[in-house]
Amino acid sequence: MMQKLLSSIWVMLICAHSLLALPESDITPFMRSNIDLATSILRNTHLSKPERSGKIFAIFDSVFDYTLMAKLSIGAKQWESLSSEKQHEFTKLFEMRLKNSYMEKLDLYTDEKIVIKNLEKIKDTRIHLTTHLMKNGEVYEIIYKFYKTANAGEWMIYDVDILGVSIIQTYRTQFAEILAKEPFDQLLARLKEPEPADTKKASQ
Amino acid sequence: MRLLFLACFFSLSLLWAANPTPQQASEDVETEFADKTSEALFDPLEGYNRFMTDVNDHFYEYLLRPTAQGYAYLVPESARKGLSNAFENLFFPIRFVNNLLQFKWLNAFEESERFVLNSTMGILGFRDVAAEELHIYAHDEDFGQTLGAYGVGSGFHIVLPIIGPSNARDLVGLAGDYWLNPLTYIEARDANMVDNTAESLGVTAFYMINRTSLHVNEYDSLKKDAIELYPFLRDIYESRRNKLISE
Repeated sequence: MMQKLLSSIWVMLICAHSLLALPESDITPFMRSNIDLATSILRNTHLSKPERSGKIFAIFDSVFDYTLMAKLSIGAKQWESLSSEKQHEFTKLFEMRLKNSYMEKLDLYTDEKIVIKNLEKIKDTRIHLTTHLMKNGEVYEIIYKFYKTANAGEWMIYDVDILGVSIIQTYRTQFAEILAKEPFDQLLARLKEPEPADTKKASQ
Repeated sequence: MRLLFLACFFSLSLLWAANPTPQQASEDVETEFADKTSEALFDPLEGYNRFMTDVNDHFYEYLLRPTAQGYAYLVPESARKGLSNAFENLFFPIRFVNNLLQFKWLNAFEESERFVLNSTMGILGFRDVAAEELHIYAHDEDFGQTLGAYGVGSGFHIVLPIIGPSNARDLVGLAGDYWLNPLTYIEARDANMVDNTAESLGVTAFYMINRTSLHVNEYDSLKKDAIELYPFLRDIYESRRNKLISE
């Protein structure tokens, strides 16, 4: 009797444990099916461009931690000096920029195959998911970097490495250079303005 | 009953161990990123570099891109890809020697296989048969990477006219590769592909236009991501080189 009770409690506790912490093993299937889904949405010519982006971001919004990405890109010190409205405004603008850029990249490579190469646990709270994009026999390596969030061990993306270049690092360097010379509002204004390449194309 | 209590206690402690201080997790992410501004980095040529970045950008926008796009309009993509393959095949000495210098024997051997196969069956390298049929891919190495693999630091960042971002180490690397490049090799002219410097420049310019024509969209899309072009390109160049050296 005692033995039975003990073992059932063990089972219950183990189950509770796995409910709390989403196992890393879910990351690979999640990303695989969603990258495939995203490419099939992109290839669907029946949908308009805004429709396609809407569908794609609905998939990825749950795994990208845009607020943390915004905070990292500007640095914790700068972040804390901002009012919460400014933080919010900046996060929204930054999120838009990341999304536009990500869409653009996916759009360029719609015909290419993306495969998930491996999942590496760097440490308890970090996972790197390496994907390979194959184009003309060349391999382009893209690494999605996950961290373990405070709430119930959910994993979220805080950075993406493309060919060894960290997206967040490139923004961090640029923002620091801009803020060394210009006030924060100027940076917000520059994030709001359309990208230079667009304006050039429009004027041609 | 005491046993039950112990079991509960034990499994709870396991639960704690499996969730290592999650509050800290989001904060220490910050330590993974560096402060790579011009002040924090050693960037003595910043003023010149910014200027040259602008010059190169204008060169690309108003000369190289329109030329490459006009050329792409006239020449079908398959032909341009063939030409690109042929050029890459010619650069075999650079990859071969630098693979050897980095003791990558298998890669050097595969490079030789590729050169023999593509030069013959691939008709002077126009078709990359080695990759298409046998899945033997190129192993890009240059002298800058070799120096990096030997432990030479990157040194100061420098933006070169037309070529673009580089650094002290890769500048030495470019000079080294110059001697291995069949398009620029200047000793013993009678035994060479090109007869004089003008021809060499012409062929190199053609190589550049051909290559640009195949990558216009990628470069334009990359540039759209920039808010400040100079630190953006500098960061990408240095990170990319470090990655290539580590491979």
